[in-house]
Amino acid sequence: MEGRQLRPIYDALELPDTKYAEEECEKLLRKHPNHYGAQSIKAFILARSGRPNEALLLGQSVLNTPSAMASAHVQQGLSLAFRALGRPREEIMVYTAALSFSPNDESLHIKVFKTAARNSMFKEQHHAAIQLSKLSKQQKYVWWLVVSLFLQAKHSKDDVAAPVQLKLAERLVEKAVADGQLTSTEELRVYLDVLDIQDKHEQMTEVMADNSQLAAMISNDPDLVTQRINLFIKVGDYDKAIMAATAALESRDNWADYKLYIEAVATLVGQAVDAEAKHSLVAGISSNFEKWAGVRGKARGAKLAQVALATRMHEAGHGDIAGSPEALIWDYLTEFQQKAICYSDIMQFIVARREPSVLEYHQAQLEQRLPAARDSATNSDDAAQAWVNLEKIRYLLQALMGETDPKAWVADIEPLLKFGLGSSQARKKQPSCSDMAFIASQRIIQAAFLAYSAADQREQLHSALFKALCVLESGIQLNDNSFLLKLYAIRVYLYLSCYERAQTIYDTLRIKHVQLDTLGHLIIGHGMALGCFALDMELCYNGVTFYDRFQSKMPRDIEAVYQQGTYSNVQDFLEFQSNIVHSIQRECTHRYALRGEGFEYGNAKETLARWEEADVSSIEHSEQTLSALHDNRDVSVMGLLTPKDMAQWDLELLTQSTPIPGHDFIRAFSLVPQVMHYLVCADIESLQEKLSELTLVVDNSSCRLSRQDVLFVRGIIDVGSLYIQASDPQNEIDGQLSRLLSVIRTNLPSNELDPSLFSLSSDGIRNLSAATELFTYMLALKHALLAQRLPAANAVGLALSQLRKEALKSVNTLRGWVDKNTRALVEEQWLAENDDDIFADAKRFVVGSQKQTTSMVTKACTTSWLRSVKNLLSQWEKCSS
Amino acid sequence: MSTIRRFRAMDLLHFNNVNLDRYTETYDSQFYLSYMSNWPDLFTVAESPAQKLMGYSMGKVEGTDELWHGHVTALTVAPECRRLGLARGLMRGLEDASEKIHDCYFVDLFVRPSNTVAIQMYEHLGYILYRRVIDYYQGDGVMPTEYAHDMRKALPRDKHKKSIVPVKHAVNVEDTFF
Repeated sequence: MEGRQLRPIYDALELPDTKYAEEECEKLLRKHPNHYGAQSIKAFILARSGRPNEALLLGQSVLNTPSAMASAHVQQGLSLAFRALGRPREEIMVYTAALSFSPNDESLHIKVFKTAARNSMFKEQHHAAIQLSKLSKQQKYVWWLVVSLFLQAKHSKDDVAAPVQLKLAERLVEKAVADGQLTSTEELRVYLDVLDIQDKHEQMTEVMADNSQLAAMISNDPDLVTQRINLFIKVGDYDKAIMAATAALESRDNWADYKLYIEAVATLVGQAVDAEAKHSLVAGISSNFEKWAGVRGKARGAKLAQVALATRMHEAGHGDIAGSPEALIWDYLTEFQQKAICYSDIMQFIVARREPSVLEYHQAQLEQRLPAARDSATNSDDAAQAWVNLEKIRYLLQALMGETDPKAWVADIEPLLKFGLGSSQARKKQPSCSDMAFIASQRIIQAAFLAYSAADQREQLHSALFKALCVLESGIQLNDNSFLLKLYAIRVYLYLSCYERAQTIYDTLRIKHVQLDTLGHLIIGHGMALGCFALDMELCYNGVTFYDRFQSKMPRDIEAVYQQGTYSNVQDFLEFQSNIVHSIQRECTHRYALRGEGFEYGNAKETLARWEEADVSSIEHSEQTLSALHDNRDVSVMGLLTPKDMAQWDLELLTQSTPIPGHDFIRAFSLVPQVMHYLVCADIESLQEKLSELTLVVDNSSCRLSRQDVLFVRGIIDVGSLYIQASDPQNEIDGQLSRLLSVIRTNLPSNELDPSLFSLSSDGIRNLSAATELFTYMLALKHALLAQRLPAANAVGLALSQLRKEALKSVNTLRGWVDKNTRALVEEQWLAENDDDIFADAKRFVVGSQKQTTSMVTKACTTSWLRSVKNLLSQWEKCSS
Repeated sequence: MSTIRRFRAMDLLHFNNVNLDRYTETYDSQFYLSYMSNWPDLFTVAESPAQKLMGYSMGKVEGTDELWHGHVTALTVAPECRRLGLARGLMRGLEDASEKIHDCYFVDLFVRPSNTVAIQMYEHLGYILYRRVIDYYQGDGVMPTEYAHDMRKALPRDKHKKSIVPVKHAVNVEDTFF
């Protein structure tokens, strides 16, 4: 009967037609107001339709009716509703209530277990696993229990209970081993985890011993082989560690094993009492490395291990006992410089010793080799790659030696440019040529920031960056697959306020899914700052869709781990889930999406409804929620040629046009919608509270917001204050209003003076964009005042109307100026004959050999600026006050 | 030389230097996670001494009876880590697991005909062009729509090498489902 009544609702949900399903629910509830099945499904529909508060209220009222929980329809509808609402505790309460009617229902216990498992509710998970293992003899439930006990103990703060839980887990596994029920490496990994967390390393070595029952499993699993070596080190049995590492390295070439081998030997050398013993230990390992260096396929690993060993010995104060690290570095380079990975391999060892004498040694070695490498680069791919690697080392040494003379960075750039962009190899898309073009671009960018770091030199900085852009684009034209060139081209275009071309290049990188979290920061938000908010919104929505899908699907992947018995994934999956769900980029993407919606034009009714209905409670942040956020943004992909700890040479950092959004951004742009919500809802008390919080954020001296974001946020504070002022008819608002209008006017293009190319490419478009956004919010203020019949509404309306007229005129003038003049100005100013001589070689090359690309870059810049200004003009046209 | 280990979910946050290559597809996260859950021993990553991901191979086992086989879903190496024999090493690992752990008859894979470097490597490893699959790869504005080469290599269990008798005519995508 109940199923038949609910059928039309289920059918509508399957279509899926949520609206129709809701109507069917209402119909049924009109006839049968206490139909709990219909109420439960309605709660689910409400949760899915973005009405969480109503859904929660309804769901909880059904949950508080114990008799209702006997129905399978209620269980299903209600559990889905709570899942959609992200309320696992309530979801478990549904199953628990259902279990009171059928306590031995295995499927219900499994549901409790899985709900707890995917929400890291380890205690509940543990209890469900106990119930399941009592109910059924299936071995998998024992493993579920073991994993639950392990997780609960690991995350517990209870120093008394945790050891007991781990002991119990250990006993369960021991029984499984005795019964022959430990059958997979996954179960073995769980066993090892349980012992490891209790520091029972001796016992672990027994489990992993060559003659143990489980030895065969270990030898087939590369990770466990390495873990075993590490374990011997942990228990201080360095001889066994050396034996295990040697055995492993005889049959494979694994860097982790080399590292452990070196660590074990280094510890024994440290413990040895006499020099002979030390030398004997080092001789043993060195002889093995030499032997393996002669084996085909193992040479690179063994040779690099020699470098690592010598470096480690030096660090431990044993001098050149394993050879001179510097000499070994150059031996390594001689042998493997034709491999592209060579620089990345060796960089860490060069960086490890930065004493001047060591750097001078490297410099001397480099100078001996570089000319020959340059001269022979055209002979073969290998020779070209060797030169590239040496050029990368030259770059690194300059940074390590603290070179701050910009001329030194671009002194010999011409051969790099010619080879990277003008050679026959470059036309054949040889990867080493793209690498060389990349190095050349990095040199120009580095020199530009060293030469023109002062605020009053930014005009010249832009001119120099434009040349770097021409180099990057020339490289991209030759080899479309070089993502490093593209990443820096995006950065530099944005630095010069050119959004459109940056976005086109970003599109060619096909960044999607999880990459939106790690690489989305490259572009998301920049469109809004440069007037292209519609394009930016699309990217934001892609991001939001990714996060929503992730949140709804990831729990199933955690369940699957238990289902498949691949328990070693559990902790990794939970960590991954937490990193994405609590990701800084996720928060930023959501804030940008909301910001873009605020920017969208709507009439008075739509605007007020948008702010009134905004669910502002879900975007509140505290110190605690902010500190729980993870920064997954992948900046390592930018291929830095210098170590990360050298800020002055960190081009990833230097090429950021605005600070990468962080806690201040999230906090500020979570508060802006809240301010607008309380303003529209005329909730003065909450509004005042939020304005104070916003003021604190923006007044903080270390606040990391862009200049325009600060301008906008301060404007919003004024909007809120103006509203409060206007709410009392006794108050004057003229002063406050004229201050706000003045902020906007100041950031509009001037009618009287011609803008300069520099003002356009630096703050011109950004300021105009911030002013336009602020005007949009002032319109919302006016609509709120009008709707609430406040006398100030007309004054604000009149002022905005006047301001809009002025803005339309000045933005239109700017549009005409950009259209008519910028192309010629780029050629006159950024490619001028009398330009700064630091970049003369680079300029001569891009103007001479790369004329077509340079012209394309000029066009890309002017088109991008024009697009931004046109978009902003269109916004002013639409925003009728 | 690298550290070869199982792929972990957290690696998805650091694989951009591998996946930004135009021939490498980035799938929905759930796709990778399902491989980690179902076939953890067929999803392997190589990590450099500088702890950067160098490349990875991702595979599964499927089919029934004599069609029980290992499938290479993805094999990719970061541009700067090429010409080191890494792809061969990863392929060998996947073939070993297909043979020794899963007892398969053969290993197969799909590759774009335009990816000539990869095809040469597979041929060198003993793979043959088994059949062509019509419009297997759909264009996305950056990469074109293309046929796929379905390549196979017989494993010792297929004593008579029945699995690698080439199909002469091109087949549709749905004909490749197991």
